[in-house]
Amino acid sequence: MNETTPDIEAKIAALEAALGTVNTMNSEIFYWWCTALMLAIHAGFLAYEMGASRSKNALASGIKNLLAFAFIVPTFYYVGWWIYLAFPAGLTVSEASSAGLPWSANMGPNLTDQASGIFYAAFTLFAATTASIMSGSVIERIRMSGFTILAVCLGSVVWILGASWGWHPSGWLTTTWGLHDVGAAGCVHTVAGFFTLGVLINLGPRMGRYNADGSLNEIPGHNMPMSLIGLMLIVMGFFGFLGGCIIYTADGWLTIYNTPVTLSAFAFNTLMGVAGGMIGAYLMTRDPFWMMSGALVGVISSAPALDVYYPGLAFLISFLGGMIAPKVNDYLVVKLKIDDAVGAVAVHGVTGVYGLIMAGIFASGYANIEGPEINLMGQIMSAAVFVVLGFVPGFGLSYLLKMFGLLRVGQGVELAGLDRVEIPAKAYPEAAVPAFDLSPVSPAE
Amino acid sequence: MNTAPIDGWEGAEVYYTFADKPAVIGLLILVGVALCVYTIYRMAKHETHAAKRHG
Repeated sequence: MNETTPDIEAKIAALEAALGTVNTMNSEIFYWWCTALMLAIHAGFLAYEMGASRSKNALASGIKNLLAFAFIVPTFYYVGWWIYLAFPAGLTVSEASSAGLPWSANMGPNLTDQASGIFYAAFTLFAATTASIMSGSVIERIRMSGFTILAVCLGSVVWILGASWGWHPSGWLTTTWGLHDVGAAGCVHTVAGFFTLGVLINLGPRMGRYNADGSLNEIPGHNMPMSLIGLMLIVMGFFGFLGGCIIYTADGWLTIYNTPVTLSAFAFNTLMGVAGGMIGAYLMTRDPFWMMSGALVGVISSAPALDVYYPGLAFLISFLGGMIAPKVNDYLVVKLKIDDAVGAVAVHGVTGVYGLIMAGIFASGYANIEGPEINLMGQIMSAAVFVVLGFVPGFGLSYLLKMFGLLRVGQGVELAGLDRVEIPAKAYPEAAVPAFDLSPVSPAE
Repeated sequence: MNTAPIDGWEGAEVYYTFADKPAVIGLLILVGVALCVYTIYRMAKHETHAAKRHG
């Protein structure tokens, strides 16, 4: 071995180059699989909402989910990614945003950019998740066209503006107020939940939901087991969602705010959050639908500070969240007469606010890279911004759609069922075949 | 039709189809947006027509 210094330097340089390539490829691989896993969220929402619908509306509810996903992919490409890069400072356009324009060199195959496509993909799945949060609440009476317009607005414009403000290393909510929300409880769940509330106010309840005296009628879905499996798929998909919330770098994992973190931290607190929310909701309701919704509540309750919570604390925060959400939903449905068919306003909107406030209380004092340290007032004010950012466009756009007759189907369609009137397919065709009629017949027949 | 913006792979960077023809890229985007809008319009027409047919 008589290697000279230049030989060794050349080998080191070659090794460093190879390591850099491997790191870049690992990053791509990581977000590729996070994106794939997030598709389980959409399979979950599909099953969950079809099961929560009466059989006469099962396919229409499913088509709605498929349309939301399909329309958000191109519209997020056209405007969504640009919005994220453009507005971290508020409403002024950042210079870096040109990389997100759909005609830029970064928005297609490019051998010098192995990040833009994979981040676009992950964020597109976040966007589709955000729109799916609304879709369950409005089942059985919304027009498909009106819903698609609302879904595109929420998924490709509204939430991503919130993400640019508060889920971005230089977002003004963080640099000004110290917002900490690593799991996107604010920009995804709070924004989507309150957007949904605005839509529900204009959409109104399903026919037969309330009696003339204001009392409530239950409208059970036709397939609770399908809904439960769907909710479990959503929980599974959240491991992709939360994995996608972490930045992979050559030096280790970072949160979206560039603070150091580990996947282990997320693993501890996500699982403890899921379990806490499920048990808390079970304690309050004994209802399997709410148990599984409680699992989502648990994730969202702990999401803002998954990186720093002690797992035992995440369990308790999520447990309490799981107890609160069903009661908030009861208040909305019974007292305020908001017919939220799946409880999304409580599960996502209100729980998102709750999670942000809990982080202000229990993660207060942790340093941010840019801006002040995490603090309660910053979390509360940021939550208020997300509430307004969701509610105002949801209410305003649905009001316009209502004025033009594009928001709600007619009474005849609603009574007959959307599947029968609009869908050229049957969810359960065997139900109409005489051989499957199991009603008792007498021997003489 | 030659859609490639590169002559070879040596030193290639941006290589997606029509990357060197901004007018074509702009047209493709416009057509894509128009198709999305048109599909929503047809969706609304279908809903209205189906409701009328149902009575």
